[in-house]
Amino acid sequence: MAPITGSAVGTGGSMARFTIVGNYLYAVDHSKLKVFDISNGADPQLKTEVAVGFEIETIFPFADKLFIGSTSMVHIFSIANPARPEKLSEAISPTVMRRCDPVVAKDSVAYATLRTNGPCGGVGSVLAVFDIRNITKPVQRLTIPVREPYGLGYQGNTLYVCDRNQLEVYDISQPFNPVFAGHILNIEPVDVIPLGNVLVVWTRQGMSLYDIAAPQQPKLLTTIH
Amino acid sequence: MRRLVLLLGMPLLAACNWTVEPLPANAPMGFVPVYAVPDSVNKIASTAARPTNKPGKIYAYTNYLFQVEEATGIHIIDNAVPKAAKKIAFLRVPLASELAIKDGYLYTNNVNDLVVFNLSNPAAPALVKRVPDAFPAISQKHPPFTNVFFECPDPAKGVVVGWEQKQIANLKCRR
Repeated sequence: MAPITGSAVGTGGSMARFTIVGNYLYAVDHSKLKVFDISNGADPQLKTEVAVGFEIETIFPFADKLFIGSTSMVHIFSIANPARPEKLSEAISPTVMRRCDPVVAKDSVAYATLRTNGPCGGVGSVLAVFDIRNITKPVQRLTIPVREPYGLGYQGNTLYVCDRNQLEVYDISQPFNPVFAGHILNIEPVDVIPLGNVLVVWTRQGMSLYDIAAPQQPKLLTTIH
Repeated sequence: MRRLVLLLGMPLLAACNWTVEPLPANAPMGFVPVYAVPDSVNKIASTAARPTNKPGKIYAYTNYLFQVEEATGIHIIDNAVPKAAKKIAFLRVPLASELAIKDGYLYTNNVNDLVVFNLSNPAAPALVKRVPDAFPAISQKHPPFTNVFFECPDPAKGVVVGWEQKQIANLKCRR
């Protein structure tokens, strides 16, 4: 067992409420974004608190932006000044108003699952595709009906979406037009972390690891229960 | 015709009143607060690997994977060889729900406190810092849903660590 040393930031899933970018830990509680300076890793210092809105659920970093999922919209913040996040815009789906929505983003596009089952409210769950090329004015470009989606994650041109009793794989070579490329059955996935050739999947039973050397054909490596 | 209008109007009037009335005895589902048990919440410990019962959030760092055991702690998994990935330890952190790691320091929440562990020995993370009340994971005032009835929380009973859905009458709080 190797000791853990060196300088590195880990990787979380799309359901996370903690994320680290550079020397800062960003944490979203039920209504606020809190910024901790962790330059001295053993001694976090609270720098800023920003009121974000109601029912915040998730936080996802991309480049100098934070994407914060809530039950009604995605809040987009700039962390160009890392200690002082500044709100840029809100991505609101005109299709589904009440839902739970983890979000991931890359250069020009953000993907959110809008789940309407149970206490999240709303009717008809979808995978929503937002055009964020103009970051101050996100526009929903497409929705894809799904069953009961949870977390999601991408790597390269492949997007993995956790749905009820299946893990869905989408080709996102054309970012605004994800194409369904297959699914894994016999799994109850909640969230994913693509990690090079390995896809880490949080399942209702624990964790499953898949080989994604061929990104669109995940192959089960092991389960950890 | 006039009579028909009146009949149609009655349910509307009833709907306008319902926010101030407690639920009837055959109540639908509502939420009741779950309070932390004061003596148990700070008992942090590194223990042997254990089975996963209520899997929570996942995290990857160097050759290790981490998975929250909901409300209980964090499973630590050696992922040096993914097809043979295996648990090496369990870090007991009562009411933990989140985690993130940088430069060998693991950040998680112990109830509403932010706690920091040194991961030099991943099988036995060492607590190095506690920041009290830095992360109130959930509201102390209401459940994380709207259009629901709930039992009004009593701060004298302690920290609210969750909300349980129950079929219960006479819930006075609503949002």
